[in-house]
Amino acid sequence: MSAAVLTTGEPTAAAEAPSASPRRRLPLTVVLALLVLALVLAFSLVPGLLTRSDPAAGIPAAKFTAPGTQYLLGTDHLGRDLLSRIVHGSASSMTSALVAVAIGVIVGGAIGLVAGYAGGWADAVLGRLVDVLLAIPSFLLAVVVVTALGYDTRNAAIATGVSAVAVFARLMRAEVLRVRTSVFIEAARLNGGSGGYVLVRHVLPNAVRPVLSLAVLQFGLAILTIAGLAFLGYGDPPPASDWGLLVADGREHLLHAPWLVLAPGLTIAIVVLSVSRLSRFIDTERNR
Amino acid sequence: MSTTSPGAGALGLAVTRSPLTAARSRYAGFALRRLAQAVLVILLAYVLVFLVLAAIPGDPVSAQLDNPEAGYTEAEKARIRSFYGLDKPVLVQLALALGRALHGDLGISLSTSASVSSTIGEALPSTLALASSALVLAVLIALALGFASQRLPEGRPNALVRTLPTVFLSTPNFLIGLVLIQVLAVQLGLFSIIEPESAGATLFAALTLAIPVSAQIAQVLITALDTTASLDHTEVALSRGLTPLRVFARHLLRPSLLPTVTVCGLVVGELLGGSLITETIFGRAGLGTVVQKAVSSQDVPVLQAAVVLSAAVFVLVNLVIDLVLPALDPRLRPIQEAS
Repeated sequence: MSAAVLTTGEPTAAAEAPSASPRRRLPLTVVLALLVLALVLAFSLVPGLLTRSDPAAGIPAAKFTAPGTQYLLGTDHLGRDLLSRIVHGSASSMTSALVAVAIGVIVGGAIGLVAGYAGGWADAVLGRLVDVLLAIPSFLLAVVVVTALGYDTRNAAIATGVSAVAVFARLMRAEVLRVRTSVFIEAARLNGGSGGYVLVRHVLPNAVRPVLSLAVLQFGLAILTIAGLAFLGYGDPPPASDWGLLVADGREHLLHAPWLVLAPGLTIAIVVLSVSRLSRFIDTERNR
Repeated sequence: MSTTSPGAGALGLAVTRSPLTAARSRYAGFALRRLAQAVLVILLAYVLVFLVLAAIPGDPVSAQLDNPEAGYTEAEKARIRSFYGLDKPVLVQLALALGRALHGDLGISLSTSASVSSTIGEALPSTLALASSALVLAVLIALALGFASQRLPEGRPNALVRTLPTVFLSTPNFLIGLVLIQVLAVQLGLFSIIEPESAGATLFAALTLAIPVSAQIAQVLITALDTTASLDHTEVALSRGLTPLRVFARHLLRPSLLPTVTVCGLVVGELLGGSLITETIFGRAGLGTVVQKAVSSQDVPVLQAAVVLSAAVFVLVNLVIDLVLPALDPRLRPIQEAS
């Protein structure tokens, strides 16, 4: 496949020179990022442990309470505890981002692997498919897919995954092309390894690391895309409490209860920021 | 070089012209191939979107037609059904639709009965104004960050400048938009959200869209600037006593243009996709709003046209960038042409 219009942004991280002194201690920002992610993981796994109040049951008398000692992040128009709603919304937000990335890695990875290893017409056909997927703005692609599948959070996750297939396919193909010409692949073939065996045992393990580093970055982007879809109302309807949906709900009360927008919005931002800090850290460690 | 020049001079014009023409025809061939590729990608995008939307459970056209509120007569229903070929297999419907689209007929909106081209045509100016001002703002922000990354001495402020793009990229664009409205429109009264198409509102809507996009441009620009800054010519320029701004503009920026302009093309996709959320928040009647309405009313013809149009804009912008890059950067031109 000749370099298409869109292939200019190839990640070049692998080519960067390794940095000098190996340090044992983690940078402070990475520790903070890990703490944030551990907290969100705890939110997702055992939401009941961290907040006592029921996310769906509100106390009407306590509606629009500003953040304070009783309600750390305030309450919404039905008097529901916002912190509890954010905590209970994490599982759904995290799982859907994971599903999206899994789809991107598996489907995109398979496409890139086959295209890069088989070459010829398979590469040409898959290359065009990837070009097309890249040509449709990814958020619009996700919107089209979620329209076709129906509005709920699971479908939003699938749609986000589909919109990420192309970037994984492109990276995997580039990595396979890099690895394929190595001497040890030639040796494996000369030793009598079948095409499939060499592909799975020799090409894949050597091509997969940059793809995993991209997967971490894409996890953050998937959180944003899914939140955007939920914000537009293409995820589960209320009383679900996906983060994007919480922002959309809070939007009507922005004037007198800004915390309803700020708290879930900043939660998304902090989590995504932590994920991308971690991704960058993995990237520099790998090149060390 | 000097050893070959007498020979070339002795042979005269014939030698110096033929490589030039060869280079030109090579460029023409490259341009034609790229154009054909772009057209193919746009056609395939139409096919892909059509097939995905054909998977909508049930049949949105009939659902819309049978809706008693729409008030279609039986004759109109039959006419519209045969127009979309709904009694035929999906692939035949696709061929019919694609054939019509190539003749410029994009069909009729299912929810408003207006033609799709006029629905989109009315919305397009608003989105183009938004997206182009957002791109300009994004480039300005990226340039400012790029300048600061080179000018500030190593230390906390510089590290902060280099972290900002990641922060921008991590912030959901609806959060930025809502905060801008709350603080600038409601509390400070800098613009009115009642008139979403006014210059002030457009500027802040564009800023909402520009912030995440500027981050992508800034990341590429800063990397390119760092590479250029380590080259000898930069040191020479500095040692000649030129002002930092001049060194930045003439000696750092120019060689860094290539990847930066390329990424400016790639972010057009984000601008078009992001306009969906930005227009919703600011209440603008643009392409994003059209898409959102089309999604909620399952208005397939409008959705199809709007998405493929966005893809076409993206592909064509990147095609143009690819073709003009050699004009921007002499290093890309064939040697004969540069001399």
